[in-house]
Amino acid sequence: MSRTVLRTQLAAVARRPARLLLTGLAVLVASFVVFATVLAQQITERTVLDGLSGTPEQAAFVVGGDAMPTAQDLAAIRAVPGVAEAVGRFETSVLVGSAAHGAFLQVTADPGSGPLALVRTVAGRFPQTANEIAVTARTAERVGLPLGSVANVRTGSETPPVALTVTGIVETSRDSGAQAYASEAAVAALTPDGAGGRIEVRLSDGASADETRQRIQTVLGAATRPQDTAVPGIRPGAEVRAEEAARAVEQIANLFALVAMFVAIAVIAAGLVAASTFRIVFAQRTRQLALLRAVGAGRGGISLALAAEGALTGLVAGVVGVLAALAFGHGLPAVLGWFGVALSGPGLPVGAALAVVFGAVAVTVAAVLAPALSAARVAPLAALRAAQTSPAQRGIGVFRLVCGLLLAVGAVVSALLIGSRLPGQDTEDYAPLPMLLGLVASGMLAFVALMLLGPLLVRPLLAVAGWPLHRLGPVGRLAVGGIGGAPRRAAAVSTVVALGVTLIAGVLVGSASVQALADREMALSAPADFEVTSGDEPIPAAVVTQVRDRSELAHVTPYRRLGELRIDGDPENAYDANDLDLTALPVLGVLDVEAGTLADTGAGRVVLSGYFAEVLGKTAGDRLTLSRQGHTVEVRIAAVLPGWVPLNSALLADPADLDRLGAPAGYSGILADAAASGEDGRTAGQRALRGIAESTGGLRLSVLADERDQYQDVLDSLLGIALGVVGLTVLIAVVGVGTTTALSVVERAAESGVLRAIGLSRARLRLMLTTESGLYGVLGATLGLLLGVPYAWLAVRALGVGAPVELPVLSLLGLFAALVALTALAGVLPARRASRISPIAALGTGD
Amino acid sequence: MSTQQPAGPLYATAAVDLVKVYGTGATAVRALDGVTVGFTRAEFTAIMGPSGSGKSTLMHCLAGLDTATSGQALLGGTDLTRLADRVLTKVRRERIGFVFQAFNLLPQLTAAQNITLPLDLAGRRPDPELLDYLVTALGLADRLAHRPSELSGGQQQRVALARALVSRPEVVFADEPTGNLDSASGAQVLALLRDAVRDLGQTVVMVTHDATAAAYADRVLLLADGRVSGELDRPGYDAITHALSGQAAAR
Ligand SMILES: Nc1ncnc2c1ncn2[C@@H]1O[C@H](COP(=O)(O)OP(=O)(O)OP(=O)(O)O)[C@@H](O)[C@H]1O
Ligand SMILES: [Mg+2]
Repeated sequence: MSRTVLRTQLAAVARRPARLLLTGLAVLVASFVVFATVLAQQITERTVLDGLSGTPEQAAFVVGGDAMPTAQDLAAIRAVPGVAEAVGRFETSVLVGSAAHGAFLQVTADPGSGPLALVRTVAGRFPQTANEIAVTARTAERVGLPLGSVANVRTGSETPPVALTVTGIVETSRDSGAQAYASEAAVAALTPDGAGGRIEVRLSDGASADETRQRIQTVLGAATRPQDTAVPGIRPGAEVRAEEAARAVEQIANLFALVAMFVAIAVIAAGLVAASTFRIVFAQRTRQLALLRAVGAGRGGISLALAAEGALTGLVAGVVGVLAALAFGHGLPAVLGWFGVALSGPGLPVGAALAVVFGAVAVTVAAVLAPALSAARVAPLAALRAAQTSPAQRGIGVFRLVCGLLLAVGAVVSALLIGSRLPGQDTEDYAPLPMLLGLVASGMLAFVALMLLGPLLVRPLLAVAGWPLHRLGPVGRLAVGGIGGAPRRAAAVSTVVALGVTLIAGVLVGSASVQALADREMALSAPADFEVTSGDEPIPAAVVTQVRDRSELAHVTPYRRLGELRIDGDPENAYDANDLDLTALPVLGVLDVEAGTLADTGAGRVVLSGYFAEVLGKTAGDRLTLSRQGHTVEVRIAAVLPGWVPLNSALLADPADLDRLGAPAGYSGILADAAASGEDGRTAGQRALRGIAESTGGLRLSVLADERDQYQDVLDSLLGIALGVVGLTVLIAVVGVGTTTALSVVERAAESGVLRAIGLSRARLRLMLTTESGLYGVLGATLGLLLGVPYAWLAVRALGVGAPVELPVLSLLGLFAALVALTALAGVLPARRASRISPIAALGTGD
Repeated sequence: MSTQQPAGPLYATAAVDLVKVYGTGATAVRALDGVTVGFTRAEFTAIMGPSGSGKSTLMHCLAGLDTATSGQALLGGTDLTRLADRVLTKVRRERIGFVFQAFNLLPQLTAAQNITLPLDLAGRRPDPELLDYLVTALGLADRLAHRPSELSGGQQQRVALARALVSRPEVVFADEPTGNLDSASGAQVLALLRDAVRDLGQTVVMVTHDATAAAYADRVLLLADGRVSGELDRPGYDAITHALSGQAAAR
């Protein structure tokens, strides 16, 4: 009997293979994503390894790495028979220009040509003598060392400068902007205490590796060395390269481990979608299943047949997903190749592919079990009932209700508990990890509670969210009614949407908060692109005028810094103050106050750092007595800033007050921004300031903007990655909405027929069905924001880094709108199909 | 309701040499084989005939639900066979009412919402007097807030009837409206249809297999093999059964 049942079910599947794909679409997409991730990791690793510039491929041995080989060792190795070439890869770093305003250069020895060379000369020639160097293009630009110029470099603050001529511009695989290359002799000359580095050895054709190694070992052992210096070891080049490769891909592996976590969430979402889809599909077969039951099919047989159908669905979805990912993974490097982006192709990881297919089957079978069991429980009598008016199950069972409520209470209580233990300003012995793990657990409880209680929430939510639609007329009302008519289905699919929205809302709130924190910190430590400071002598006003006159620079702001300040006569602690004008630099616009207002400026007022406010027990409006070397000034605290005040001082004072405290007339430093944006503007500004600093003498220039940019780059790429992996869940959710709408439309064809018969136009029917699909987005996004925002708030506070919790309202609204638009879009195709069916045909399917 | 009644013509709706062929080639079925018939205003017509004789097809063509192969389907002088879907939709919404065998109410709407749905779609307000009259006459007053799943079959069909009548359509088409009902509920629905014709001047065209039901009609049209095979004016039950058995014998 059960085989007969199985045959009827599978025959139905075979008749409509497209339906099978639709049912398994979420699993298909998940399989695609999982396998694409596997391939992406392969592509990334291979690309990194192909572009890795470490030990050259031709190096048979690497000498050193543990103990430093000497120049004598190099000479001795070169004399060993079987050695075709030995290169001393010596390295040192030198200071260009004066100690006060110099730039560091990394000087590496290189043969300049031959198989062991790591650089390629693109202009001039590679240095040969001890007083020549070559630099990379970016270094030439940044440090100001064009071809033919002479660099005065120092190896230490006491040693006299050495003049080196730039004879060539070279290209390497990674150009950091502070790299120079020279001959071994040059590097050795720059390192009086002995060159550091290693020796790379290339064998001559036909030489035996073992014998040559033995000989090198012997000469190294025979060399005289200072006491307690070890003999440098010899390692095969392949081993060193493998180690370098492992180190290079380690970070990639870590990154992908993180990605895998979010992919796993997407897979769970796919399982949820699949379960909901199976429920719908089986509900449509209620009559047929009841008929089978009526003619004597057992429950077990029916469950088994349905589960087998699920397994088949998973198999097909998994295979198609894996094949699609494979096509994509192999196509992408080829396509990008046409645009000049070099990516290595992935391999063909058969094991991983099989694992993904197996996983797809497992997830689908897990998803189909509950729907199959409940579908098999259908009463034979249902076959005789008119399907059309049989009400959709509205409520939920008592057991489910109780479980759901318990979990919800658990989630709320744990969240409140965490909320009550949030750290304050003082985060000294605060451990964020347990709190964050607690939050994740609480979030998971909340989510499962949402899944259980969802059907009860649909109607109240619809009443609120659907209200504007109700006002929009009958089509909106019908759409709201259509969703509300099947609350279990709506809950199932919008819960998955909510999962995606929760994750994205968390990322948005988190990144906005971290961004605000970073902006604040950066405004304090790097309030401008450039800073010029003096050693001991104050900077004369004439220099400020010179800087102001340069068109390459903007927002030029001099400041004075005054140390040795006593507050309220306390002799123990000394504080420092500066008189930076907060309105002069645009970056400082992001500062937020803890108390008081920054608008309250002028003589007799100070802005105090939050740390010192806590130490002193003062707040905005309180008075302070500042004294220094017999001068005393009474001031009032206008504002307290969280953490430090700009330039990391304790307080910010008016210039007039600093005068009264005996500050000298000259400036401690000058801040300035580049007038033009981009790399060119910055280089121009840097050159202008360098020129002034050099002609004045005793000034030091720092480029704060580079630091800020690096920080911002890291933040941006983190946000991008986070949104990308979290977006996978949203993708699955949208697929789920599309599938649900498509299947609901089939099920409700008769309904569409009536509507068309009594005069609903095609366009309005389409609009109604698309609106229904968008309503899943409204429900899901509402639930997701309700869950995601509070949890993100708690998470940011629980991090304990003092980040202000920022609600990026615009982004969140955009997220809401995007989800509604995406889910509505998912309904467009099913709605089109439904509106194409003639009303008579649709009426015919009812009975 | 439509205020522009076409001047003159006697018929609310009419078929002129109407042909409907399903499929092509060897499997083609001539569901309507040149039907010419008119349905007088404010008259209750029953269409009878053996299964597969083309009753439903005729109704679908006249109601603008289906296209004809040739011939004309006239509604108050308008030829529906020449109209685009967009216009037909409007015609159905404003000038035609339907009652189906399987009730076909929308499960998510209450009885009241189901009744006013066509008017809602047209963006019109129901005539409160008419609505009141229908609800009372159909005995639905205390059932208005219920959803279809909470109503009996007879009640559902009465809601469908109210939905068809409330927009004062030019013609109400009913395809076996009593097919799923017990005889008492069926009688109630038929009496209401007759009252609508008598009291409201409604034109009603009804397909039925049931001679008792047909006896409520002013006129009975007989179809066989896609052609009009006979017509009875105000027949009684006996006359109808007699005509039907004659038809069966002719086959
Ligand atoms: N969509 C269709 N495709 C092909 N043939 C059809 C289609 N609809 C109806 N027919 C055929 O047209 C003929 C008339 O069908 P119709 O539904 O009008 O009959 P009917 O008189 O309403 O029958 P019944 O009393 O059983 O409802 C039948 O032979 C039927 O098989
Ligand atoms: Mg019929």
